[in-house]
Amino acid sequence: MNAPFAGKDGEAAFARLCEALRPDLYRFAFWLARDRNVAEDVVQESLLRAWRSRDGLAEAAAAKPWLLTIIRREHARLYERKRHETVPVDELVASDSPELGATEDPQVLDVRRAILALDDDYREPLVLQVLMGLSTREIAEQLGLTQAAVLSRLFRARHKLRRVLGSAADGEDD
Amino acid sequence: MDCLEFRRLAGADPQRPGPEALAHADACPRCAAHLRQLRTLDVRIRAALEVPVRASGWIPDVAAAPARGLDRRRWLALAASIVGGVLVGTLLWVGGPRDSLAQDLMEHLTHEPEALVATSVAEEPTELRSVLERGGIRLRPEVGTVSYANSCRFRGHTVPHLVVQTDGGPVMVMVLRHERPAAPASFREQGYAGRILPAGPGSIAVIGAREADLGRVAAEVLAAVEWLE
Repeated sequence: MNAPFAGKDGEAAFARLCEALRPDLYRFAFWLARDRNVAEDVVQESLLRAWRSRDGLAEAAAAKPWLLTIIRREHARLYERKRHETVPVDELVASDSPELGATEDPQVLDVRRAILALDDDYREPLVLQVLMGLSTREIAEQLGLTQAAVLSRLFRARHKLRRVLGSAADGEDD
Repeated sequence: MDCLEFRRLAGADPQRPGPEALAHADACPRCAAHLRQLRTLDVRIRAALEVPVRASGWIPDVAAAPARGLDRRRWLALAASIVGGVLVGTLLWVGGPRDSLAQDLMEHLTHEPEALVATSVAEEPTELRSVLERGGIRLRPEVGTVSYANSCRFRGHTVPHLVVQTDGGPVMVMVLRHERPAAPASFREQGYAGRILPAGPGSIAVIGAREADLGRVAAEVLAAVEWLE
């Protein structure tokens, strides 16, 4: 079996890959959990798990979806193990909320608020597509859905955002 | 394809709605405008999704794990292994491996330094069109002023090398149809910051002097490029 991350060279390559992917993995975890501390825990645990299992990864191209799967499972596991205190979105989007991050651009904050308020079913495929660059087929595989269901959720996610952000000029999208 | 079907496809995947949808947009001005709106929205979504990340790498984060209950001895053995691996990886990354895509991009940039200057003078439209056609792409005007366009040999292929003028200064854009990285990557070298983003069948590389603006610029470029074929 080809194992691109086995041995010393593979170790260095895997470390480099994790370093490059870590910011977006953290962001993905944040948008799953909507909480910075939970996202950091999830990413730490996930990278540890990935590090232990890296020898089993058959090809480098599969690393990103594999890491995303680990993040999703770790996030679910963390929620099973421990009920996190939830914060209502209205409180979360207060201007000084650290979850929203420091940004000087009020337009970015508006969009961030709108994304935070989306249902998980709509937010997750949107994050996988726009942030992580997955195709609809890859998202379907990741979420265990049909491609048609993914297309529908992505359409609805954007439609909701356009309505909230006031850019839906008409009702033709429905 | 009718307008309703187009809007369902474009609303689900504005960057890659498919050849039939793109053909429909070419023939339908309202749907073309709708697609542009959606792509602009995607640029805003991308910028919003990029929440700030702690500056520290994952070594300090991992190092905090035992305090939260991992088995300490197991962790120490693992951490030593990770630290070693990450140090090697970081050195390779920061130093820039000679055969890496980032290194090749930096070398290419330094071969044509005159291109990366701040100017309000746009490239000749016919030259720009020719470079884009040779590269198999179209570029929507929202991207801003393209001050330089050249078809360059890069890693055995002829690729569009553009310079886009942004609020943060000139930015080099290389459209790399034949380079498909496994993941987005960032790098810093020689005072420049760069991003390589998987896009279409390949990737787009963006290099500029101001790292703070690069995410936004990269997202805008990503949204402005249409891959032909």
